[in-house]
Amino acid sequence: MHEMPIIYLGSIPIDLSAVLTLLISSVIVFVLVMLSVRNLSVDNPSRLQNFMEWVVEFVQGVISSAMDLKKGKPYISLGLTLILFIFVSNLLGLPFSFITEAHEPVYIFGHVIDATKNLTHGEHVELLWYKSPTADINITAGLAIIVFVLMNFLGIKQNGKHYFKHYIEPFPIFLPLNIIENLAKPVALAIRLFANIFAGEVLITVILKLGILSIPFLAVWQGFSIFVGALQAFIFTILTMVYIAQMTIHEEEAH
Amino acid sequence: MTIVWTNIVFSIVAFVILYILLSKYAFSKLFGIMEKRRELVLQQMDEAAKTREQAVAYVEEQKQALQKAREEAKQIIQQSQATSLNQADKLIDQAKVEAARLKDEAVRDIANEKNKAVEALRSELGSASVRIASKLLEKEVKADGEQEQLVDQYLKEVGGRS
Repeated sequence: MHEMPIIYLGSIPIDLSAVLTLLISSVIVFVLVMLSVRNLSVDNPSRLQNFMEWVVEFVQGVISSAMDLKKGKPYISLGLTLILFIFVSNLLGLPFSFITEAHEPVYIFGHVIDATKNLTHGEHVELLWYKSPTADINITAGLAIIVFVLMNFLGIKQNGKHYFKHYIEPFPIFLPLNIIENLAKPVALAIRLFANIFAGEVLITVILKLGILSIPFLAVWQGFSIFVGALQAFIFTILTMVYIAQMTIHEEEAH
Repeated sequence: MTIVWTNIVFSIVAFVILYILLSKYAFSKLFGIMEKRRELVLQQMDEAAKTREQAVAYVEEQKQALQKAREEAKQIIQQSQATSLNQADKLIDQAKVEAARLKDEAVRDIANEKNKAVEALRSELGSASVRIASKLLEKEVKADGEQEQLVDQYLKEVGGRS
């Protein structure tokens, strides 16, 4: 099993691989978007601008499938950031991962990496430095928490008392069930995304053990992983929009 | 899988920062441009529709003009046919009248000439016959005024009969 390269600053654990990969995917998304809006033009769009407009229209389609597009307009930026960030993050670990083998305590920036602290002679651990950030459940949980907080906040803000009334419907006895339902949403989001990407990377590691024979399988699986990465980004985004729509839109006919 | 709470925080922070940066510096601009592009396309489509309408109206106008021109041409041809026919009739009539007149004149001239010729011939014949007769009778009726008077009377009788 690969270990996380964690160092402790005081009592605060810092996973260096998470910091690194989050930074890389954020920068890639940011640079991609900034490049595409660098030379915006009304009548002669560049290829990148066309691509970005296509993404925007795609996200608009996703949102309009969940709610009225007029109400969904403020969430286009959110959906765009989500889909781009998750897609790039999913693809990040596909081409390669970076693993070091440590036989003795490894120090970085003057701090010992936690997993290598108690290594005695003859033992070793493998440190996973570079992977898809979304192959870490903590990071997908972070994204899911954002969605969870946002949808409940928007629900309370825009739906008022109907938001709370919803918890005791159709009968007050349903309160715990409704709470569980609400909590299950972010958990499902986080685990779905994490499991898909993590499984993809695990399978790549397994296929690599075949040696030279692994090349065709690897090609097929990597191609499929690109598809899975896009699909998971899409699912995460559309579910976010559906949840927000559920929470914020009060259906008059239902009451 | 180990839960590292700082990773959760990192991912939240990274995502929020990315979201703020992108919506501030990129997406607002992009949405504005996209809206403008949408308007531009709408406007161009509108213009195209208008141009097409104009073209259709123009073609219709041209068709009508062509139809009118055709009708006019037909009318002109008919008119000219009628006038030419008319003129030809008139010409023929005129020619006929002229011919008749010429013929009448010629007949009158011929009659005139004939009368004149007859008159001339008569006087010529009178004097010639008198001369012949006087040559014949010179010897016998010379100086006999009574006989010359008789001949004249006879000749007058002959001329009056013709």
